[in-house]
Amino acid sequence: MAAIGVSEWEVKIPEKPQKDKLYFENLKAKVIDTNLCSRCLTCACVCPVDGIIATDGVEFPNYEEECTDCGACVRVCPRFVYEPKSGMGDYIEFIAGRSKRFKGQDGAMATELIVSAMEMGMIDRGLFVGRDEQWVTEIFHVRDPEQLEVLPLGGTKYTFASVLPELKKAARFTKKGVGIVGTPCMVSGVRKLQQEFPFFRERIKLVVGLFCTENFHHDELTKYLKEKGVDFSKLIKTDITMGKFIATMTDGEVKFKVKALEEILPSGCNVCTDFTAVESDASVGSVGSAAGFSTVAVREENAKKIIDFIKKKGYADFGEADPAQLDFLIGHKKKREENIKRD
Amino acid sequence: MKKVATPEYDIKDKLKYHVSALSTAAKEVVLPLNITTHYPRERKKMPDCFRGYILFDPERCISCFECSFVCPANAIWMKEAPSGRYYPTLDYGKCIFCHFCVDTCPGGALKQTKIHDVAYKDMDEMFTLTEEMIEPPEIIREDEGYVEYEIDKEDLSLKRTKGIDKLIVDVAPSQGVPMVSLCVEPESCLGCGICEGMCESGAVSSLKEDGMVRMKIDVDKCTGCGLCVKECSMQILRLVRK
Ligand SMILES: Cc1cc2nc3c(=O)[nH]c(=O)nc-3n(C[C@H](O)[C@H](O)[C@H](O)COP(=O)(O)OP(=O)(O)OC[C@H]3O[C@@H](n4cnc5c(N)ncnc54)[C@H](O)[C@@H]3O)c2cc1C
Ligand code: SF4
Ligand code: SF4
Ligand code: SF4
Repeated sequence: MAAIGVSEWEVKIPEKPQKDKLYFENLKAKVIDTNLCSRCLTCACVCPVDGIIATDGVEFPNYEEECTDCGACVRVCPRFVYEPKSGMGDYIEFIAGRSKRFKGQDGAMATELIVSAMEMGMIDRGLFVGRDEQWVTEIFHVRDPEQLEVLPLGGTKYTFASVLPELKKAARFTKKGVGIVGTPCMVSGVRKLQQEFPFFRERIKLVVGLFCTENFHHDELTKYLKEKGVDFSKLIKTDITMGKFIATMTDGEVKFKVKALEEILPSGCNVCTDFTAVESDASVGSVGSAAGFSTVAVREENAKKIIDFIKKKGYADFGEADPAQLDFLIGHKKKREENIKRD
Repeated sequence: MKKVATPEYDIKDKLKYHVSALSTAAKEVVLPLNITTHYPRERKKMPDCFRGYILFDPERCISCFECSFVCPANAIWMKEAPSGRYYPTLDYGKCIFCHFCVDTCPGGALKQTKIHDVAYKDMDEMFTLTEEMIEPPEIIREDEGYVEYEIDKEDLSLKRTKGIDKLIVDVAPSQGVPMVSLCVEPESCLGCGICEGMCESGAVSSLKEDGMVRMKIDVDKCTGCGLCVKECSMQILRLVRK
């Protein structure tokens, strides 16, 4: 009996800065209300009563009654004890890639990495961000590459996506492992989950990070874009390149300086210094390589194995990528360190 | 409106059918062949696996809710007993007599019977409380014999036997394997105590001390119902053989 499981065990719980308050109230006071929250939703992923939800911000509408005060959210929130990451991070290989099989935002290497990992048997599930007609993000569990042909995925959505709340479900059902693509804050959240709980450590097998300067709230970005004349029924692609936000529609495009979006820059991004997702297994982005290619920083052995597999199978074209081209944006984000208020 | 023509017979056919009808009538006079059961003076003998009225043995129930989960008609509602444990109630207004509950019950607490003739005055009465499920319902029996149908080639014949057919069959209830809930991945436990809240037998406890939560499953109290296993958000509890 003892070999299978135990009937007595202990759980270490974190210290509460405010002892008389619930853990969630502590999280709220220290992260959400101080504008540190990145909306990564790691807390929502782990909360056993699924009480934490994303609205304009992050909240738990009925926490007085439902919160079990377990403290799991506090344990995994990457910004509760915030150790900002920045720079290029370590990598084994820095290359440009363009998938021959998939169409994506750039070279579709993010998709290629997940699908190839699935083919290799490393994972049996990947979480993708799609969108509806109004460009509201939706999360899809992809278990068969053929699903990608019919799902409304299509490139980068510059609005927050609730990927991590789906991660627990994916981890519960996976047999081989889960692969996930996310912004740097989400990657940090996933690492916290893995650090704290073997449940996630053993089940999340591939973490692909995206280069990211900032993300936006759906309502604020759509309002802004509508004012700029973007017709959402005709919108097919959004992109940020060379300091410009470009919304491509079926009958033309709207272009403006991305600096103009500063007025709607979410507070959590304003204190984020990680451009390249330094904690990922592999980071994928647009800068650093020629148009039509994705820049890939291969950081961990698992990602290296996938890249070798892609090369062997001839699934993608590869080319040169230049890390120096990232310096400007890395520096730009590094400066945001000044915005972090420390108590 | 569509008119259907009546078949037309010639005199030869008519004569043939008349003779056949008369001879059947003559046969019935000499050797009556009656295939109707004279209920309630006699009953049709049902097979032992007949899905009739359901009896309940609280001693065998582990309060796992499985019967209520499986019931496709939503006829089973688990009701709290004074002990804090939950036991099934059964609404015969909804029950479709599929006996999935009987088949599902891990401890053999639900038992099938061949009782199929219970009368109720109204819908409310069809809602059978736990305590009403323990003893068979009172039915007045006037039967002195039972009938069995036999099919011989195309003919259906009737076999009548004197005596009373037992409606509650002597089949030993399924033994069930005694199970107990254990934690297989304690390092992934959140200490949320949801398992404790789910447990009706008071077998699970989570005790907050400073800096830690002490989790304990009292193996003797655990009935192996598996409710904590189902509800654990991290899915780290398992039912294992006791
Ligand atoms: C908010 C955001 C800001 C970005 N900013 C920059 C930048 O400043 N500079 C730069 O070089 N690159 C940036 N990127 C990355 C870039 O836009 C591409 O996503 C990246 O180059 C991968 O392209 P691909 O063709 O290989 O990906 P594809 O194969 O097209 O796959 C795209 C992947 O992105 C995921 N995704 C899409 N939208 C979101 C979202 N909102 N949240 C989380 N995941 C999402 C999808 O699930 C999919 O897996 C940003 C991405 C995002 C999501
Ligand atoms: S139940 Fe636990 S994880 Fe959820 S909000 Fe409360 S303390 Fe945080
Ligand atoms: S930073 Fe992430 S984990 Fe922390 S409160 Fe915000 S959404 Fe939750
Ligand atoms: S429900 Fe699961 S995670 Fe929560 S305390 Fe019980 S065993 Fe731990």
